[in-house]
Amino acid sequence: MKLTRSLFCAVALILLCSSLFAGVPSPKASSDGAHANKGDEVSVEGEKRFRANCGRCHQAPHKLSPAMMRTAIRHMRVRANITDEDMRVILEYITQ
Amino acid sequence: MWIFLLLATAVLCFAQDNNDRAVPLLSGTAAFVTNFDGGHADVQPVFAPVLLVPIRQNWLIEGRGQFEGDFERKDNGSFGGPVSSELQYVQLDYIANKYVTFSAGRYLTPFGIYNERLYPLFIRNFQQEPFTLGLTGESSDGAMLRGGFQIADGVNLTYATYFSTLSTVNKLYSDRAAGGRVSFYFPKRRFEIGSSWKHLLQEERTNSYGAHLAWQPYSVPFDLRAEYAYDTKGKAYWIESAYKLSSVPVGQAVTRHAQLVARLQQFFIGKDIDENDEYELPDVRTTQVEGGLNYYFRDDVRAQASYGRAFSIDGNRNIWTVGATYRFAMPLWPGDWR
Repeated sequence: MKLTRSLFCAVALILLCSSLFAGVPSPKASSDGAHANKGDEVSVEGEKRFRANCGRCHQAPHKLSPAMMRTAIRHMRVRANITDEDMRVILEYITQ
Repeated sequence: MWIFLLLATAVLCFAQDNNDRAVPLLSGTAAFVTNFDGGHADVQPVFAPVLLVPIRQNWLIEGRGQFEGDFERKDNGSFGGPVSSELQYVQLDYIANKYVTFSAGRYLTPFGIYNERLYPLFIRNFQQEPFTLGLTGESSDGAMLRGGFQIADGVNLTYATYFSTLSTVNKLYSDRAAGGRVSFYFPKRRFEIGSSWKHLLQEERTNSYGAHLAWQPYSVPFDLRAEYAYDTKGKAYWIESAYKLSSVPVGQAVTRHAQLVARLQQFFIGKDIDENDEYELPDVRTTQVEGGLNYYFRDDVRAQASYGRAFSIDGNRNIWTVGATYRFAMPLWPGDWR
């Protein structure tokens, strides 16, 4: 029992510490020149759909990389029954 | 062991399919909760990892386990106790089209809103689970069809229908049952209402029913959620509200991270109460009122404290809870580490 508890604590500690370094800058950090208008439109609609769907249970956009967000949003497509269109718009917004 | 082999195979499949830009992800919750229930203290460290492995464009393997300590004070003053482990779901999803997703494996029973959506420790507003969760079964083994799509301007329909098989395998227990859930969601008002049902295909072949609603108006940072469930073990409901203090004009540096929460729930015994202890349900009519404060240090780190009072003919008691939760997420693919 002691061994199980020690292993459990060790694994938890390692994962917690390592995940602190897995974050990347906010997905909204990059929007430049030529894509500014399109980016604004995506932001407005994306934020609206983020609030309507993700914001019901989650806080503001998490600091995850675009590749990680693609996985997370697919997970939410299944778990929270997000519509296909909402998924695409939110993904574009959150990874731009 | 076969589950780990399955997941390892999935990761290898991903390795051969790296045109897909989604990456395998390890996420989940770590929490530390202290309960004082009727003067009885227990400490519960919890670690609940979630593994997500996307394959190509439409496939996903997902699983969640939970390791939970239940440490109580011993005679010598120290805390100790067992650590339990549980496989809550491990399923293969195929997103066939915009209307249908097919899932197979061990999945969370789609009944009401708590089990599938509010259960994770970093999402739930109170660490103590509501009575409704014990009435309808947490996990099932079998197959499920589900989806969500727009049926009119401002109206989404979401559904889930499933068949589960009998399993008496340790850690993979499941009833033979069929059931489903349907909800209407109005995104412009962030209002959802729906119902669930489950028909047991074994023993007494009983029916369970449920209803739920959720409302989060855009104009104020307020959440209202409620769920009702009926089963032969009893019937129960809970109503929960949460109010973020972000609109309070004073002390914004502190108040914008704080949230007040309140919950009322009642349980009424049914005709089959022999197994209520096993499902962590009361064996007498019980009313419970709770209030608490959640404080978000970051979107993924939260401290919680709550006080509740339970009323029943067995005696009234106080329930205090203090805890902290942390949601972690990391890629399981070297190229994505920054």
